[in-house]
Amino acid sequence: MRSGSYITRPNRTLQIYACVFLVVLYVPVLFIPLFSFNDSIYVRFPLQGFTTNWYVDLMGRDAVWDAMWNSVRVGVCVAVISTVLGVLTARAITRNRIPGQNAVVAFVMLPLVIPGIIFGVALLVLLSRLGIPLSLYTVALGHLIVCMPFSVATLLPRFEGMDGSMEEASADLGENGWWTFWRVTFPIVLPGIVASLLLTFIVSFDEFIMAFFLSSTETTLPIYIWSQLRFPREFPSVLALSSIILTVSFVLVFIALWIGRTGLIEKDHPRPPEAPKS
Amino acid sequence: MTAAPARHIRARGGLHGALHRSKAFRGYALLSPALVVLFVGVVVPFLILLMMSFWTRQGFDFDTTMTTLNYARAVDEPIFGTFLLRSFWVSGIATVATVLLCYPMAYYVAFHVHRNKMLWIILITLPFWTSYLLRVFAWRVILGYEGVINASLLSMGFIEKPLAFLLYSQTAVIITLAHAWAAFAILPLYVSLEKIDRSLLEAAADLGDGPVRRFLRVTLPLSLPGVIAATFLIFIPTTGDYITPALLGGPDGAMIGNLIQLQFGAVNNWPMGAALSIILTLWIAAIALVFVFLTRRAERVVA
Amino acid sequence: MDITDNLAAVRRKKLSRRAFNRTLLSAGVGMVATPLIGTRQVVAQETEQGTIFTWGGYDVGELYTSYEAANGALPNFAIFGGTEEALTKMRGGFTPDIAHPCNAGLKRWVDTGMFQPIDTSRLSNWGDVIPELVAMDGNDAGDGQPWLAPFDWGGTSITYRTDLFELEEEESWDMLWDKRYAGQLGSLASGGDAWWCGAIKAGVPFGEIATDEAFEKISAAMREQRPLIRVYTDDTTTLEQALSSGEMAAAMTWNSSAVALASEGIPVRFARPKEGALTWVCGLMVHKDAPNLDKAYEIIDSLLSVEAGKFMINDYGYGHSNAKSFDQFDAQTLVGLGLSKDPGDILSAGHFMIPQSQEWETRMNETFEMIKAGF
Repeated sequence: MRSGSYITRPNRTLQIYACVFLVVLYVPVLFIPLFSFNDSIYVRFPLQGFTTNWYVDLMGRDAVWDAMWNSVRVGVCVAVISTVLGVLTARAITRNRIPGQNAVVAFVMLPLVIPGIIFGVALLVLLSRLGIPLSLYTVALGHLIVCMPFSVATLLPRFEGMDGSMEEASADLGENGWWTFWRVTFPIVLPGIVASLLLTFIVSFDEFIMAFFLSSTETTLPIYIWSQLRFPREFPSVLALSSIILTVSFVLVFIALWIGRTGLIEKDHPRPPEAPKS
Repeated sequence: MTAAPARHIRARGGLHGALHRSKAFRGYALLSPALVVLFVGVVVPFLILLMMSFWTRQGFDFDTTMTTLNYARAVDEPIFGTFLLRSFWVSGIATVATVLLCYPMAYYVAFHVHRNKMLWIILITLPFWTSYLLRVFAWRVILGYEGVINASLLSMGFIEKPLAFLLYSQTAVIITLAHAWAAFAILPLYVSLEKIDRSLLEAAADLGDGPVRRFLRVTLPLSLPGVIAATFLIFIPTTGDYITPALLGGPDGAMIGNLIQLQFGAVNNWPMGAALSIILTLWIAAIALVFVFLTRRAERVVA
Repeated sequence: MDITDNLAAVRRKKLSRRAFNRTLLSAGVGMVATPLIGTRQVVAQETEQGTIFTWGGYDVGELYTSYEAANGALPNFAIFGGTEEALTKMRGGFTPDIAHPCNAGLKRWVDTGMFQPIDTSRLSNWGDVIPELVAMDGNDAGDGQPWLAPFDWGGTSITYRTDLFELEEEESWDMLWDKRYAGQLGSLASGGDAWWCGAIKAGVPFGEIATDEAFEKISAAMREQRPLIRVYTDDTTTLEQALSSGEMAAAMTWNSSAVALASEGIPVRFARPKEGALTWVCGLMVHKDAPNLDKAYEIIDSLLSVEAGKFMINDYGYGHSNAKSFDQFDAQTLVGLGLSKDPGDILSAGHFMIPQSQEWETRMNETFEMIKAGF
């Protein structure tokens, strides 16, 4: 009993560390809402006075909202597709022992190494030679390439060392491949899938150099923000928008928490009840 | 990932061979969508890049005679080597710092959080839903000459003059990179720690291992795939990053990514930029191989 | 399947995880399909309007009143953050109707062969355009047609904090070389601004800027300045932020920055250096394969109108190419914006950069980058 309780026993030092970590993670980000209420176009101390003008200003700017909506659409598509491709790739590599898999992995990882501008230009040249017009699709294609490494790198460790015997048992029971995957593999790799969805969404939502080269007249949010740097007076509205994004994501998380209470999220990680302390 | 254990399969005849072939075929079938995307998006552009690196610039066109001139320049002119070295230094420190700082956090979530783990994970990634450019501006407020850190150090009497090196320096780049890439370290670390079978730890405890020994003998080796993934996910892209150095690096903070970007922009020498990218890729591949080799060795020594 | 129903079902533990996952999956498929539907509609609409490739901030209705009146909609906007990346994107095959470069890059943009001369007879506002702005070097495409229709212009000089920067004598480019303020000076990063200012400081006449001797002189000046500079940056927001917080005492900026800072109550002045400031002009160029040529001319005409000019001067603090735009303001307001009732005054006091060849640009940028990097 002693050992079991030791592993899961609350560790004071770690708890404090986790809190400090979260604070450090959040402090820079919380400056954004703070300055979005500041009555100055400049981000600096001391604060000048409270205003909600930037929010009012933001409401009337269709371009910003369009850009944000575009970013969300591209981000969700890219997150879903690259995670699906990541699952297929990770599974193929870990379970099917295919020849040439190291080369495949190397090529998946390649876009990480090369600055985005180069893949952006190269893809643009390729697309215009093929006569494919630029659109949000081409942006999504670019982002897919940038996001694949993140999804594969998150999923591979999860698939690796996964106990194959459960899948085999399921197969022995006469279940077909897809069913086995859905019932057995999927729940086991779910944390990896969630991690991959989150990472790839973040990457796509914040990427702008590929998006710049591969977008036509529909811009994404990061391009919009980048291009606004010539006009500092537009800047506080961008701060306001980011604060809204931050708030909305918090609300979403609390909804998730609410669902989570019922045990939906818990069920994915069945854990034996804690052993009493000795 | 190159970290995947290499599997050597001896080709055998008969039933086993057929089985193996069909497995490989199924593997390729699973891979095929990813392969199509990779081919269009990565392989073809990379080949274009490779070709271009042997060309030379001629006005706005290219002289397509093959030459290694660009590579010779990259070796001969000290600016390229210096920038490359500086990039590895800056992103190396940022990577090590991020992974070290994030490991305990991932460990905490994996082993000490029992309810709503996913909530924690999402909570950690939330700050990154705001634009990176805006986070950079926030860091300027914190690190600036009259920023939060300097103001509080001054008021507490620790320093007499604001610390100028905090902003527009390599320090600023490292701090910002470490903060910006935290989620990219925590997620892979968490995913691999989460997977560890608790009974192994109990077994180690039963064998009389103390907490430190248990960590070194069981937890750390088993979480190494996550550590490797996190290290790569941060080190590789930060080496080629050019936005952070451009915004926060100041005159001494520029990195190889800035130089490459300039070749495609103002300097307008695409072939030179292509050559520099290829060189960067080769270097990173070499470093990655050495790193994997070393971690394998370490893994074996520990285990 | 209704999401709220599902959430409630989950809460009542009626819905199995699998069913919930299936919902999620279908939601995912739905989301993936959304851009498909959205984009198709937009494309169908888009082909009817002209497309202008410009900075964010130029995509506001006030600048396109006559276009909007004629077409019932605004033009399409493709936006960039810098002209260099814009040129790179167009070289990669992106084809807008109009792009918005500046005079420093004029010759290079023309040399790419991607643009067509502007038929000024198709522009109703052309007669009011300030002639000095059209008569830039390298702007003559033959037959009296220009490559670039000037639109916005202004000065590059030193913006300094009057409370932090103590003037020794009169205002001069030496201010950005002042060792007393080492680490508190800022500069624009692009050679298009900085190198030319260096030439003024080094006393190199612009006509001789391509000689080896000029390169040596300017390089020496830039090397001398480099240790004093806190940051080289391409965006004016960064410089303005730094000036407003007191991080910098003086920086090379455009006149609009000084206007913006002063309007926030920060004690700054836009210097009129004794050697003369640098004048920049940005304008509109027509792509040779412009898909909507007629619309392109309508966009340009709209931008050259007095209404657009009034907005540019009043809201952005930039000069406008239409001489009549300046009649909308009294002399005092214009001086406050760093402009003048007679734009010719400012133009003749400043130095116009002379567009150079690509060879020169490449050499200059390489040299300047080496210097910035400390070599």
